[in-house]
Amino acid sequence: MSNADLRVDLGRGCVLPNPVGVASGTFGYGFEFEQLIDIQRLGAIYTKGTTPLPREGNPPPRVAETAGGMLNSIGLQNPGVDHVATVYAASFARWHVPVIVNVAAAAVEEYVRCVRTLDAADGIAAYELNISCPNIAHGMDFGLDPAAAGRLVQAVRGATPRCLVVKLSPNVTEIGAVARAVEDAGADAVSAVNTFVGMKVHLGLRRPVLPNRGTGGLSGPAVKPLALAAVARVRAAVRIPVVGVGGIASVEDALEFFVAGADAIQVGTANFADPSVSLRILDGLTAYAEAAGLQRLTDLRWQPAPLPA
Amino acid sequence: MLSSLSRARDETGEVLRVEQLPGGLVELTAHLPHLAATARAGEFAQLRCGPGPIPLLRRPFSVAWVDGESCSFVFERVGAGTRLLAAMRTGDMLGSLGPLGIGFTLQPSMRRVVCVAGGLGCAPFPLLAKQARTMGVGDVVILHGAATAARLYPSERFVRGVDGVRVVESTDDGTRGHHGLVVDLIAAALSDGADAVHACGPNPMLAATAATLRDLVAPRIVEASLEAPMGCGFGTCLGCALPVRRDGGTAWALCCREGPVMPMDTVDWDALRALPPAHVA
Repeated sequence: MSNADLRVDLGRGCVLPNPVGVASGTFGYGFEFEQLIDIQRLGAIYTKGTTPLPREGNPPPRVAETAGGMLNSIGLQNPGVDHVATVYAASFARWHVPVIVNVAAAAVEEYVRCVRTLDAADGIAAYELNISCPNIAHGMDFGLDPAAAGRLVQAVRGATPRCLVVKLSPNVTEIGAVARAVEDAGADAVSAVNTFVGMKVHLGLRRPVLPNRGTGGLSGPAVKPLALAAVARVRAAVRIPVVGVGGIASVEDALEFFVAGADAIQVGTANFADPSVSLRILDGLTAYAEAAGLQRLTDLRWQPAPLPA
Repeated sequence: MLSSLSRARDETGEVLRVEQLPGGLVELTAHLPHLAATARAGEFAQLRCGPGPIPLLRRPFSVAWVDGESCSFVFERVGAGTRLLAAMRTGDMLGSLGPLGIGFTLQPSMRRVVCVAGGLGCAPFPLLAKQARTMGVGDVVILHGAATAARLYPSERFVRGVDGVRVVESTDDGTRGHHGLVVDLIAAALSDGADAVHACGPNPMLAATAATLRDLVAPRIVEASLEAPMGCGFGTCLGCALPVRRDGGTAWALCCREGPVMPMDTVDWDALRALPPAHVA
């Protein structure tokens, strides 16, 4: 029996039973994985990005594999916030696993309407504000500008008593500034990071593989070093919990995020190739903590030396 | 309709043999008892092509044949994943998640099932023929076309000793069988009546099959097995969207769970044709 306390307190009463969550967009709303693995053991399910109205999603092709990674341009296909609040949430309420609904919209008042609609439903542990979707018009506007991100979070903070996690975009010059702005505006935690804008070219056709502007969000092991650096920068910028995400596919990957400064993690793209990988990472983290005599996984955290003047 | 995931299981089994067939086709057989016991014709498995992370994702393959506890898959070397699979040796371990998706409709009351197999679209039909005959379907006619004789899937591999299975071949260049397209064979095959037409092959061939059947007295059950670039294979990544007709317009359906086999009249063939060729790599 491990002595380690693996619980993670994200704030406002949202205490995850363990640090291993599954990332938005890689787990739907849990219903498919429920048929494949024991989802109740997970630390949290971060749902598919949920928008004010249902969305059909982008035309295909929507995914393209790259070296150690995957580009996607799904376009936030989802049934809309009303359906999630009135139908899906009833299942969430029966589940042991905390469900954190990822919310995406194009305007401040739409985010506010979404969380108010979801507030009426039980079974939702927290919200993850998606201010960083690269695949819809205006999807990244909030995530790119600290002031705009702060205004959005302030408005949503005033609208809901529930825990607010803000998912940061890596496609910025200084991610720490955005993280600080959302902390100051009342975010309880941040998750870092969303996908990186990328492109795959079809040489034979002399055009990108993905439609529209030809770009998509890059995820998978290819982005792990970039995500680790982002987590370290965010950790240095804020005091609130940091949920690390980006290319985690093994226990070692997950441990590296705790060293870089994460309080919890999300497993994303790896779920597609290996539906039970998140549970194996959970078991591995538990065993590691016990073997290393850790009280908490955050004991692994690296303390950077001050930069030379 | 969404496929059930309740039969899907992640299992790892030994590769029993990898056969290099004429024309660059490869047939890989592995010990996968769960898939062998549960797969229905037209359903697929997500195969792990290597230890990763390159390639990162699994690749979807129709279950081509089941013998005892082993399953066979037929493919071509088209990319990194299939090249790794083709290079596997006896004794290597293969990961399989399946069975997944919706397969072909088969009913014991069917007197005749006509299959239209273009090129690699041969893959689901050996198992279909066996399962159809086992459940009591009268006979199975497989129309199989390829660019040239060397690229035809060997007819004895469709049959594999199952009686009541007949193969009619065509080649674009006339090197074997009918000189022309496989869809040219459909009218004759239906002339004595059939209860279902099941097709698998490149999108243009499937679209031509659908168009041909519109001009004939087609059976009630007419289905096509489609493909799309897939991330997960079980409905969460939402990557494998295909255009279908719904409520008078075009909507997206997931190939992995609303397919890969769909009634032909639900597919929006014009929209499918308009997609960039890279859509099916």
